[in-house]
Amino acid sequence: MLRRRATAISVLTVLTAVLATGCSAPGSDSESSGDESGPIKIALVDAQSGQLSSLGAWELKGARLAIDEWNAQGGINGRQIELGVFDDQGDPTVGTNLARKIDSEGYIAMIGTAESAVTIAMAPILKQAEIPNITSGQSPGLVAVNSEFLFLNGPTSTTYDETLAKHIVDQQGIKSIAMISNNGGYGKGEHDAFLKALTSRGVTPVADQVVTTDQKDFSAVLTGIRQKNPKVIFLGAEEVESGLIVKQARDLGITATFAGAAPQGTPVFLDTAGAKNAEGTIVSSPYLSNDINDAAKKFAAAYQAKFNEEAELHGAKAYDGTQILLTALKSSNVAGGKELAEAIRATKYQGLLGDFAFDKTGVGIFVTSIGTIQNGKLVAAAS
Amino acid sequence: MRKKLAVVAVVAAGAWFLPYGLDSYAIHVANVILIFAVLAIGLGLCMGVAGQVNLAQVAFFGVGAYATAILTTKAGLGFWVAAVLAIAATVAVGLVVGTPALRVQSHYLGIVTLGLALAFTNWVTNAQVSGGAEGISSIPGPALPGVDLDSEYLYYYLELIVFALALAFGLFLVRTRLGRRMRAMRDDSLAAGALGAEVPQLRMAAFLLASVYGGVGGVLYAGLIRYVAPESFGIANMFLLLGMVIIGGRQSLIGCVVGAVGLALVREGLVDHPTVAQVAYGAVVVLVVVFAPTGLAGLPARVRAALARRRQRQGAAARLGPFQPYPAAGSRSSGRPMLDVSGVTMQFRGLRALDEVSLTVSEGEIRGIVGPNGSGKTTLFNVVSGLYRPTAGHVRFRGQDMTGSRPYRLARAGMSRTFQNLRLFGDLTVEENVLVALDRSPTLASWRYLLGPISILRQDRALRRQAGDLLDRYGLTEFAQSPPRSLPYGIQRRVEIARAVAAAPSLLLLDEPAAGLNGEEVRQLSEIVRSIRDSGITVIVIEHNMGLVMSLCERITVLAGGRVIAEGEPADVAATPAVIEAYLGDSMSTDDLPSVPEVTA
Repeated sequence: MLRRRATAISVLTVLTAVLATGCSAPGSDSESSGDESGPIKIALVDAQSGQLSSLGAWELKGARLAIDEWNAQGGINGRQIELGVFDDQGDPTVGTNLARKIDSEGYIAMIGTAESAVTIAMAPILKQAEIPNITSGQSPGLVAVNSEFLFLNGPTSTTYDETLAKHIVDQQGIKSIAMISNNGGYGKGEHDAFLKALTSRGVTPVADQVVTTDQKDFSAVLTGIRQKNPKVIFLGAEEVESGLIVKQARDLGITATFAGAAPQGTPVFLDTAGAKNAEGTIVSSPYLSNDINDAAKKFAAAYQAKFNEEAELHGAKAYDGTQILLTALKSSNVAGGKELAEAIRATKYQGLLGDFAFDKTGVGIFVTSIGTIQNGKLVAAAS
Repeated sequence: MRKKLAVVAVVAAGAWFLPYGLDSYAIHVANVILIFAVLAIGLGLCMGVAGQVNLAQVAFFGVGAYATAILTTKAGLGFWVAAVLAIAATVAVGLVVGTPALRVQSHYLGIVTLGLALAFTNWVTNAQVSGGAEGISSIPGPALPGVDLDSEYLYYYLELIVFALALAFGLFLVRTRLGRRMRAMRDDSLAAGALGAEVPQLRMAAFLLASVYGGVGGVLYAGLIRYVAPESFGIANMFLLLGMVIIGGRQSLIGCVVGAVGLALVREGLVDHPTVAQVAYGAVVVLVVVFAPTGLAGLPARVRAALARRRQRQGAAARLGPFQPYPAAGSRSSGRPMLDVSGVTMQFRGLRALDEVSLTVSEGEIRGIVGPNGSGKTTLFNVVSGLYRPTAGHVRFRGQDMTGSRPYRLARAGMSRTFQNLRLFGDLTVEENVLVALDRSPTLASWRYLLGPISILRQDRALRRQAGDLLDRYGLTEFAQSPPRSLPYGIQRRVEIARAVAAAPSLLLLDEPAAGLNGEEVRQLSEIVRSIRDSGITVIVIEHNMGLVMSLCERITVLAGGRVIAEGEPADVAATPAVIEAYLGDSMSTDDLPSVPEVTA
């Protein structure tokens, strides 16, 4: 009996202790406002593993190149810049975890990701934590998030496809267009943006086929398209898949010209499709090639020297984005949070992709160029 | 008991104060871990407790999260309303996913459920309403007056409370009648059915539970992450969940939680080394399956068992008590037919196992069925108890035509049986084996779990008292808490008879109850069977031990080649030339030879 009372008392004490302390909520704000010494910490979040890891690798190289250039010149205000690399595995849930992680570890800004879905998932947390983020995504969904801390280092799909539609429909007068896109995040964005651009011109695609992201055999889809005999086939898919589609289309005797956005201008696409099959492909891209102007040549040379491989669009985008971020850090005297976001928005920057001037939505570039593949090389189209 | 309470109190206090020591990232990780723990409990209930392979748990999770997201963002509902509807939607999906379990089991069921899970991710990537590959963002969070659930620290407490309730409910379920019945079904669905467990309903209940836990996890996820996308509900996470359950220990819900926490922490530690991580999970799962098949939760029990084995060599072993006869019921032979088999034929492809067998057993009788190996005795039992549907003929039980009824229906109508090669529930204790049979409440009444856990507890206590009395009568009290497979064969036989009688049958079918027993045990068996009959239960015995049959049975039916070749009182039958020729041969003169256990499959 006595013992039972003793336990009852001890339980009561524990309970009261719990209730007493329970009233004051844990986690009192430990606002990690940038410490004034030591390196400036910037996070790079991208898929370093899984299907999208090649994108992540390109981004990392572009960002690394920009940061190394700045560090070689003494950093910002005498402080070196430190790049923390995080792997989101292309999974939005992992992305949200990482958003919290870079917040708690005191990172001042973030570069990435290349996957719009992951960036969208992370955006609300970064907004709450007031961490500016320059992403390589291009989905219109990024704009819809409506965060003043989110910036795009390139145009949105809308810009890519509007420019493309303008070239094909308005300038070349082609109305017989078929579409193939995949149901992934990128493909769906492309599909919607291009379809919208066509519809606004009163053009209905003769075929609108959706494939899956891991499909390898497209003969059924292509046979259907062949019967419609379109002049142009729009591709809304990543590099390898687009290449496979082009190759199989030529095998089936389809002679139509292909058109697409950035992936269709890459060496990976060319290699997969075969240079002969890809001949004439129309590409809408803000960065057509490494020798389009002097800045691009310089960037490509540095890239080649550092990583011993040829530069391409994604590296260039990340390089531009990182340059903008570092410029803003310098101009704002390494401020964090809102002040840094405003500094980024105010930064006017002449980059590899064009002249950046951010608007309210966080988009800085509104034009792409049209190029065509001729003799296995992407060259600017004569307009 | 007191020690257990202390442990629970310490863990609870630890969990309560945990946030005070965590930074904002760590608390997020803790929140995610709690969600996975809830999911793992659901999977543990379905797979570990009920034995239903369920690879669609991650889809339940997804349905819960997506339904919350769609209902809040597209339909404009409040979070809590959406949460309730989302759980309802998940349950609906759970019942659909569970339907195949009525037809297929084990790995086939795994493939079917995995297919359905894949179909779900495919659908959300393509559907308009779910936002395609981009998912749905800016889901409004839950609101509670006075509590800011936007703070992850306070959200942790919400999750902790939900988790504690989920775990407590799960543990309560496992230890009371619904869970006990599910575990019995997992160990031997045939025997469970023969004891009156409604196997189809129990399987659906398993998926129902899994989907409720999945839905709760999904709602918590939507409230925490505020974003849903297809990748989060893919196969990789399904196998992570599966790993949690296997590593922790399928059959213990606490183990599932331990596995969830452990594996999530490992994943967190390896987050910067994703390639190593995949190999590491795989290696851990393989190691656990090979070296600790019962998982981490099973380790203490295994260690204890090993120690006990060592100690038992010196200590006194538990002993079988004497059987205490039933008080005889008044009128025992009313002469009404209890069982009436007429013209039953059972055809297995080319083999005619039973050929127009007819027999009538009247109430209060002890009937012996004998015949050489392969004469169709067990087939006859299987037809009578509903395991086989006869090709032709009828079985009438207490005047009602029950031909081809499901075993559990027959069991509930008052038929009970034992099996030729013991079918005890291996992972239940002897007491629980008896409890499964004693519990006659319909599974459908399990909705009471929601309303009156107290009344369930009270009924359970009453059942346990009955079980105690029964075990006492059969002299099994000292074995009440042992798993049956640790017991000697003779005792297992007795447990099976006790279990069959616990189902309160009016007709008891005993399939070779004396096989493998020694002379003394056979004598006790004969005493037990007679007493059972005296308590008012009609008994039919298949037996090879002729001494037992001759002394015990009032009438004997002889089968040979699937036909009845003789029927009558033991002495008459033994003298029939056809019987001597077919079966008895010379053994009639060696009446008291110890029986040779028949080795049959």
